[in-house]
Amino acid sequence: MAGALVQSIHRDPALFYWILFPISIVMVLTGVLRHYATVLLQTAPKKQGLPALREQRSLLRGINLRSNSSAVSSTAFAARRHYLVSAYKDGTFLKDPDNRGKPAGNPMTDPAAMEGMMGMMKGNMAMMIPQTLIMGWINAFFAGFVIMKLPFPLTIRFKSMLQSGVATRDLDVRWVSSLSWYFLNLFGLQSVFIFILGNDNAANQMAQQMSQMNPGAGAGLFQPGQDPDKMFQSEAENLEVVEHEYILKGVEDRLLASIE
Amino acid sequence: MPTERELAISPIVQESVQHNTQVISNIRSLTASLFGVASGILGLESYAGFLFYLLGTFFVSVLIWSILAKGKQGDYFQGAWSELWAGDVLNGGMSFVLTWTLFYGLVRA
Repeated sequence: MAGALVQSIHRDPALFYWILFPISIVMVLTGVLRHYATVLLQTAPKKQGLPALREQRSLLRGINLRSNSSAVSSTAFAARRHYLVSAYKDGTFLKDPDNRGKPAGNPMTDPAAMEGMMGMMKGNMAMMIPQTLIMGWINAFFAGFVIMKLPFPLTIRFKSMLQSGVATRDLDVRWVSSLSWYFLNLFGLQSVFIFILGNDNAANQMAQQMSQMNPGAGAGLFQPGQDPDKMFQSEAENLEVVEHEYILKGVEDRLLASIE
Repeated sequence: MPTERELAISPIVQESVQHNTQVISNIRSLTASLFGVASGILGLESYAGFLFYLLGTFFVSVLIWSILAKGKQGDYFQGAWSELWAGDVLNGGMSFVLTWTLFYGLVRA
């Protein structure tokens, strides 16, 4: 038919009120619900004992000293570096100094690690359950007829997915059933959620899946199964090779240059 | 790119950089939905619609560049030029397709 004949289907306008709008509203409300469910399911981080906290903070201190080294004078930096490096090498900050050199225990037996995995499970469940439910709901109620026409053409390959349950071979792919409206909502509602819930919302599963692909930024410093002693040793090495330059060196020349 | 020493003298605050990209993405998601509404009402189809979106995005980028950044992009964005001119265009595109389809269906089809 190649464009010569434009297919048109007369549909009941009530299709819009009883299918399009309910699906959109349900999608938005599910996003809001998912956001608050994620907020509620988040368990506050458990309080850690003094030695564990000291272990983490002292490693962070070394990293901070390394990245902000130019803010202190050379003598001050040398003194700090000397203290930290020797303490790292002696293992002063270790949570249990007796375990030095032993291989780390199985992360499955560590209760703290189990807690983290449970949190991840909960997040996944909060994504999976509504998705399955809504797909099932749409398939059960709204399958088997086309409801709208897309404003852009698609290749024939999408036909089986977007016109599922519509058994007409020659129908243009641009006519789609309600399931594709669901998919459009799934991908396109992120901007709506930004305005309803703010920027760091947990409403959109697509955005969450993207962020799960590259974890790291928010992840804890101490992954379960890592040997803190080894981290201390490598941090000591990093500190030792820092080339220190004081930021106020030559500041008077820079000041004069900026005035001229 | 600034050298390490220049960065130490005039450091870049990460929060401000994040805020700037956040502003861009907010503007993008709002305008993308509105462009979708507009092109749906206009009844644009296939390439015309996407071209409309790209032109509109470019127009918004010019506005961001001239009004928000006052023509000095380097003061607000460290990285490539695309952070201002193409940031979040794909995410906005999804919202655009959504509202485009909805309003095309409501008005035309």
